[in-house]
Amino acid sequence: MGTSAVRVRGLWKRFGQQVAVAGIDLELPAGKFIGLVGPNGAGKTTTLSMVTGLLRPDHGTVEVVGHDVWQDPVEVKARIGVLPEGLRLFERLSGRELLAYTGRLRGLPGAEVDKRATQLLDVLDLAGAQHKLVVDYSTGMRKKIGLAAALLHNPEVLFLDEPFEGVDPVSAQTIRGVLERYTASGATVVFSSHVMELVESLCDWVAVMAAGRIRATGTLAEVRGDAPSLQRAFLELVGAQSRDAGTDLDWLGGGPR
Amino acid sequence: MSAPAITPVFVRLKLSLLRNGLRQSGGRKAAYIASAVFALLFAALQLIGLIALRGQAHAESLIVLAVAVLGLGWAVMPLFFPSGDETLDPTRLVMLPLRPRPLIRALLTASLVGIGPLFTLCLLVGSVVAVARGGAAFAVGVVAVVLALLVCVALARAVAAANVRLLTSRKGRDLAVLSGLVIAIGAQVVNFGAQRIGASGLGELDPVAEVLQWVPPASAIAAVHAVGEGSYGLATAQLALTAGALVALLAVWSRHLTRLMTSPDGSTLATAETAARERSSTGLGRLLPAGRTGTVMERSLRYVWRDPKIKAAWVTSLAIGLIVPVFNAWQGTGSVYFACFAAGMLGIQMYNQFGQDTSAFWIVAMTISSTRDAYVELRARAYALLLITLPYATLVTVVTTAMLGDWRRLPEALGLSFALLGAMLATGAWTSARFPYSIPQEGYKNVAPGQTGLAWISIFGGMIAAAVLCAPVIALTIWLNVSAEGDAWTWLLLPVGAAYGAGLTAVGLRLAAPQTARRLPEILVAVSKG
Repeated sequence: MGTSAVRVRGLWKRFGQQVAVAGIDLELPAGKFIGLVGPNGAGKTTTLSMVTGLLRPDHGTVEVVGHDVWQDPVEVKARIGVLPEGLRLFERLSGRELLAYTGRLRGLPGAEVDKRATQLLDVLDLAGAQHKLVVDYSTGMRKKIGLAAALLHNPEVLFLDEPFEGVDPVSAQTIRGVLERYTASGATVVFSSHVMELVESLCDWVAVMAAGRIRATGTLAEVRGDAPSLQRAFLELVGAQSRDAGTDLDWLGGGPR
Repeated sequence: MSAPAITPVFVRLKLSLLRNGLRQSGGRKAAYIASAVFALLFAALQLIGLIALRGQAHAESLIVLAVAVLGLGWAVMPLFFPSGDETLDPTRLVMLPLRPRPLIRALLTASLVGIGPLFTLCLLVGSVVAVARGGAAFAVGVVAVVLALLVCVALARAVAAANVRLLTSRKGRDLAVLSGLVIAIGAQVVNFGAQRIGASGLGELDPVAEVLQWVPPASAIAAVHAVGEGSYGLATAQLALTAGALVALLAVWSRHLTRLMTSPDGSTLATAETAARERSSTGLGRLLPAGRTGTVMERSLRYVWRDPKIKAAWVTSLAIGLIVPVFNAWQGTGSVYFACFAAGMLGIQMYNQFGQDTSAFWIVAMTISSTRDAYVELRARAYALLLITLPYATLVTVVTTAMLGDWRRLPEALGLSFALLGAMLATGAWTSARFPYSIPQEGYKNVAPGQTGLAWISIFGGMIAAAVLCAPVIALTIWLNVSAEGDAWTWLLLPVGAAYGAGLTAVGLRLAAPQTARRLPEILVAVSKG
């Protein structure tokens, strides 16, 4: 069956006493813009790290485009692009040098790497800063150069961990544009976020995660169900009903000070 | 409306900052008090020592040198410890309506408050006591102490104001990482210098002092000595020179300060200029082999230059690898075999390769999918290292041999160096894969908390293993040197040592590659703690 981009079976990860991922099964369809949503600490980053082969799971299997991540890394690593959260880049390289380095490590011919790098830098609005060291980049610029490095070898599946976190609206729009064009060509994007409005406007397929488990999966409409917005549906799914704050903070605002 | 005097405000601000040093968490408070007490004790000891120097032959040469070093210390201090004195950063005052002259006066006065100035004062007073002879000399001494102290403080301020853009930027923080290194190497030089003086007496310093007596602030103390000798003309010239230097420093400071506080922050304007500069550094790539090997070598070499932690480690290795054999040879206590020190010190750079990548190792991990990839990656890192270490170890060995005139032993010394280098590369590659640890990017620590044991196993275990691996070559060297006919064959040790070292490296890389390929996620976790 060629319709699955990622297939996860019984995935577990413990850090000491804490269970980060508690046995998840997940099947992500190919060719979709997929959002992995959940509150902080839900296990999104841990899951994405295990799916991309950067973290070894305690149990379970992960297949990406039909190949096992741990048994067949040659096939998998060539087909995926990754932008992790909380890991550094080689920041003492300039933006262009970082792309040249990453592309050549991926085994692409030098001339091709330079051509693609020039185009990516242009599209992502980094051409002016291409010779600046990445250590001097802003958060938005770092996310963009990380995205460029992840796209350089034209992967089939792209994994992005919080690609819009701390990014200004202009850079966010640029990133969106590139990702939309990329999925339109049939590729798969999996990205994690806790900003529901963003997920709602970008994704056509959603997986909701909370406390290390998958709470719901499906198209946007399926997950949203009868709720007025994804935000509402999400809050119900993760069990965080909006508490009536009326009496708790009655001193706040108005009235006698 | 006349503005109220701002000098007392600044002095109070400085006192508050000093006092706030005590209002930190327990550990930092203890460290703060301990360092203050230590500095004062050291100052008191120095004062006693200097007073004891009084009347010694050539004492004035030593003291002029000491004061000159003190002045140098004040000049470089703001470059290395930019966060040491918050009042050093005048850009914090930009929003306040202040005039240059009262501001300079206030800042200068505030600068005189603190442990550093107190320490300097002790040293200067001690210097005057040591060199002054007669009432007139002591009277001039009072002026000299004040002038010298003001020169020191103004020097620090002027340097800081001239470089404040640098000091508050990322480059300035990079520079601070290198500071420990300058102190370490400086200590080595002072150590060897002191040994030399111990051997041949203070008279060695006279030519140096001849020059330094005309360099402020040392010139002020030299003037005190000159008065004691009755050379009033010389003393007047030296005092005038010091005063002139003070005025000039204040003028420079004032100009930079005014420009700093009236021009916009330029931290975002420098892009165009650096872009032009860094573009020219792409020639390296064309000389290296294509594919993963060249790519990895290029990045490794760039990091030696650009990453402050790696650069500091390299410079330390290069300096100590040179200083130990060459200085020992210079003093006549050395041996050609000391030249192996260079190979040993530089070989350490192969250790913890992936820790040097920090968590950016994920980029490497994403592109290693077979043992072959891991092998090429490690081999390329070893090549990058050899590109620097091979010529350097050879150079140090040749220089040491030349200084000792012991050319007969050159082949065996080179052979031993290469064997040791090979053994270090082999064990370095293997421990990099087996015992990786994080190198924190901030601060002076080279091991992340909780990984010290790992680092010890990696470095010391590796070094002992390297020494053991070299044992056959060492044994062969000894055997050829003690056996009757052996001397004629010692040249053999060069090719044998080189081949043995190369063989060890090849085997080490072959053994490390599968470990690396299998343990990618574990290595990533281990190096991501910084």
